[in-house]
Amino acid sequence: MHKIWRMFDPRQALVGLGVFLFSLALLIHFILLSTNRFNWIEGPNKAAAAQTGLPSK
Amino acid sequence: MADENQMLPGLTDAQAKEFHGLFVTSFLIFTAIAVVAHILAWMWRPWFPGVNGYSALDAVNTVVSMIS
Repeated sequence: MHKIWRMFDPRQALVGLGVFLFSLALLIHFILLSTNRFNWIEGPNKAAAAQTGLPSK
Repeated sequence: MADENQMLPGLTDAQAKEFHGLFVTSFLIFTAIAVVAHILAWMWRPWFPGVNGYSALDAVNTVVSMIS
């Protein structure tokens, strides 16, 4: 398995992995922040929660 | 044919082994932290709502239906 590092340059692999993981983390955190339930900064917006929960008339 | 121990100029076999050891260790630590974070997040607010959305909204429904 270790031979993979003779095919891929460790430096490039680490930089690529770092950039990829960081952007993925950024994406997921912002997706969660954009939701009502998982916004840990402002917390659920009661009106919106009521709105989404309304039985459709 | 590429010489066996010179697949790519760069790491020797020993260096590749050493790097791989560190890489796998770091990966396991990263994964352990991620698992703990997800457990904490789940304890805070579970995801995967039921068919009628997050059950917590039922409380809101009853309140809303009482008001309207």
